[in-house]
Amino acid sequence: MRTYIARRVVQGLLVLWLVSFAVFSLVRILPGDAVLMQLDAAAAPTPEQLARARQELGLDRPFLEQYRTWMSGVAHGDLGRSLITRRPVTQELAKRISLTSHLAVMSMMVALLIALPIGVLAAVRQDTPADYVGRLGAILGLSLPDFWLATVVITFLAIWFHWIPPIGFAPIWQDPARNLSQLLIPAVIIGARLAAVSMRMTRSSLLEVLRQDYVVTARAKGARERTVIVRHALKNAFIPVVTIIGQQFSVLLGGTVIVEFIFLQPGVGSLLLDAVLLRDYTIIQGAVLFFAVVIVAMNLLVDLSYSWLDPRIRYR
Amino acid sequence: MKTPLSRPIALAVVALVLALASSSTPAQEKAPKTDAPDATPFAYAAPAFIKELDTRYPASPPVPPPPRYGGVLQFPATIRTFDPTAGYRPELALVWDTLTEWEATWYFPEVQRTPVIRKTLATSWEMVNPSTWIFKLRQGVRFHNRPPVNGREMTAEDVKYSYELLRDKVQYATRAALIKTIHVVDKYTVKFELAMPDPKFYLNVVDSLSPVIVPREAVEAPGGLAENPIGTGAFMLKEFAPGEGVLLVRNPDYYLKDKDGRALPYLDAVRIFFTKDRATDTALFRARQIDLMRVPTLDVLYALMKTVPDLQLYRVPSFGWGDYGVSLALDKPPFNDVRVRQALSMAINRDVVAEVINRGDATLYGPFPWRLAGYTKRADYSYANLGPNYQYNPKRAKELLAAAGYPSGFETELEWAEFEGWTYNEFVQLVARFWSDVGVRVKLKQLETSTWINKVGGAQPFTQAIAVASPIGAGPSFMDWAYLRFHSSYPRTVNRAGINDPKLDDLLSTWRQDSGDKRPALQRAVWDHLRANVYRITTIVPPHYRITQSYVYAAGNPYCWFPGYCSYEAKTAWMTDKAPTRKFDKFAQ
Repeated sequence: MRTYIARRVVQGLLVLWLVSFAVFSLVRILPGDAVLMQLDAAAAPTPEQLARARQELGLDRPFLEQYRTWMSGVAHGDLGRSLITRRPVTQELAKRISLTSHLAVMSMMVALLIALPIGVLAAVRQDTPADYVGRLGAILGLSLPDFWLATVVITFLAIWFHWIPPIGFAPIWQDPARNLSQLLIPAVIIGARLAAVSMRMTRSSLLEVLRQDYVVTARAKGARERTVIVRHALKNAFIPVVTIIGQQFSVLLGGTVIVEFIFLQPGVGSLLLDAVLLRDYTIIQGAVLFFAVVIVAMNLLVDLSYSWLDPRIRYR
Repeated sequence: MKTPLSRPIALAVVALVLALASSSTPAQEKAPKTDAPDATPFAYAAPAFIKELDTRYPASPPVPPPPRYGGVLQFPATIRTFDPTAGYRPELALVWDTLTEWEATWYFPEVQRTPVIRKTLATSWEMVNPSTWIFKLRQGVRFHNRPPVNGREMTAEDVKYSYELLRDKVQYATRAALIKTIHVVDKYTVKFELAMPDPKFYLNVVDSLSPVIVPREAVEAPGGLAENPIGTGAFMLKEFAPGEGVLLVRNPDYYLKDKDGRALPYLDAVRIFFTKDRATDTALFRARQIDLMRVPTLDVLYALMKTVPDLQLYRVPSFGWGDYGVSLALDKPPFNDVRVRQALSMAINRDVVAEVINRGDATLYGPFPWRLAGYTKRADYSYANLGPNYQYNPKRAKELLAAAGYPSGFETELEWAEFEGWTYNEFVQLVARFWSDVGVRVKLKQLETSTWINKVGGAQPFTQAIAVASPIGAGPSFMDWAYLRFHSSYPRTVNRAGINDPKLDDLLSTWRQDSGDKRPALQRAVWDHLRANVYRITTIVPPHYRITQSYVYAAGNPYCWFPGYCSYEAKTAWMTDKAPTRKFDKFAQ
């Protein structure tokens, strides 16, 4: 197991290095740069002035030299400074990561609280009204885009209740009430979609497991239905569900941009989108590297969880 | 797989979606009835609503109650950094002052005719000769009382330092690049030596894109101005929450007073939310979380007025900002032929463009703002004054194309992008349709917004034609709006259309050298030359809509509330006792 983990860590580092080089190269292929993108509509700079501004930001240096400087900083925990705000990238990322993590964890909790019981119920009571309602809910969750749902929710909250979730992020350990009032509604909107995916996967996976011989055997031995499902079927049925959850959690960290924009809860995703639009290379590089680290780590954790869920699985 | 429940469930879903969709368009459902016989459910309300606006919200503003101290004003804007050395945003003027500023903005009718300069850090100026200007500074102005500056007095040395620091930065280049040297004459007097004579140089130091005055100690302290945001402005930055917003509190030592001698500002604090979505802005306004906002279209305005009936609306014809037009590749055939450009302009029915873009609530737009051409009324921006090239005449357009050698038209590509506040999607489809009527077959090409910005900004060439607003000026200055934008000596980042016309250059150079007497006539001659040559196809410009909550007033500048354009007027705003009570200890409250 230790050998396996060590090998995966080394592979992960290699992936991160490749990601760093790819993102560093690709952002520089995009047309325009940070100097142009922050100009006011009324500004009229000459090419000489633009060149001087690029020089100030170090954008005129050779590509490999820029990459070497950046990687040397990364190795020391310094992701550089934003080309737009001039603040350290780590500082820009830190608060956004906190908000995104809150939103991702809360959305995932909402999703699991909805998906697992309904998924299990739909599987156990297949082709009954409970199953139909569960599946309808899942289709609705998949069909309603979260940006549309978010827009409708914020509009009607404002019209009917003259209230919208408060602005200005407060971590849950500092102000739990404010945190919940800020993030609960966005989390439910994001979680609804995730719940749909997870519920469908839970249902289909459990249905498959319930048809396995060892489940039939457990029933034949006179085990209670609850015991059969909870102790024998559910754990095995969770392997594909955990895979999906792991993938979704990685996507959540960067994929909630629209909801972040609408509810003015700026996480890493909206920071990255903003940075792409403004060609803020250092922020893009830092944010993508963060996503890569999370994805590599999540994949490792998901793989390791398989052996816990199914003791027959062994890593060497 | 079919089940007995499939059909009722499907019907329920359809009913739910329809119910939600219909309730999300209150403007269409609750439209006031119109007497127009051909009114349709979609176009119904616009003429009646515009008429209602004309009567309920005339140009003159409501009479404000006496000013009241206190309150926290909240509004939306997008600011990435509160550091004038890193990037320019008009909101920075809440913290940092320029030498002078507009009394209200040049967007508003009275200001468009008679712009008034408010003397902030400079109290007077004198032209020694068109290349030498002397500015007298206000005495006793102090920087914010925070380390490392600790409230010391602002002097001529600070002006020299700030101009030398900022004049080459791209965001200030339009205004300050003209300055060759700056001399400190005495503690309160600075002298500017210009690289080129300019008898109207004083206009170049009036806010918007002119350097703000910063203290050297704060710039050179660790973290620079981003960490030490110290200026002489009416507000002091208390908290900057990246991506979320900013909290500014009243500067108790601010030097300006109102006309009755009361200290400004009246407000305790200003809180700005960095919103990025129109739905968020409108929801914030409806929930009274923001007190003012700019409304992009008549439709959005209608929806807001139905849900917030007591809002105050300021609806003002645009000076020139925000028009809809098309830039052409003038250096390539067929657009290097004036007849083709005239034909393409004549092929467009601008009344229909106004209908489609903003339900008809828009006015004509030509080469540059009407006032700069010497007209005295906004209504002078008419078909009659613009001439035949701006009048819909497809028959003549076909004749011109045939005369230019294109009797069967030609194929072209029109690039465009989604851009917040504009509806280019509808505009380019309309242009393509009008051009196809005269035989010009248009291939629409949507660009990623950043690429489009590069192309319209002149940093990257566009292929043949591109939908774009006209390049704007930072004030009611002919230099900004016309000279820089049309003179061939400037690069494409300035003269974005790449115009190279010796006769136009000659007119502009004569204007530049003139001491002032002949300038109005020369400006009209430039106007005539441009409308004849149609270097850029301009169509219409919608008015500015600005709304505030009923409890917000803005002193003598009631119109000046476009977030992002003149939000510095927060220094003269006040809120009545009907305003919500808000804390201002920190941003997140």
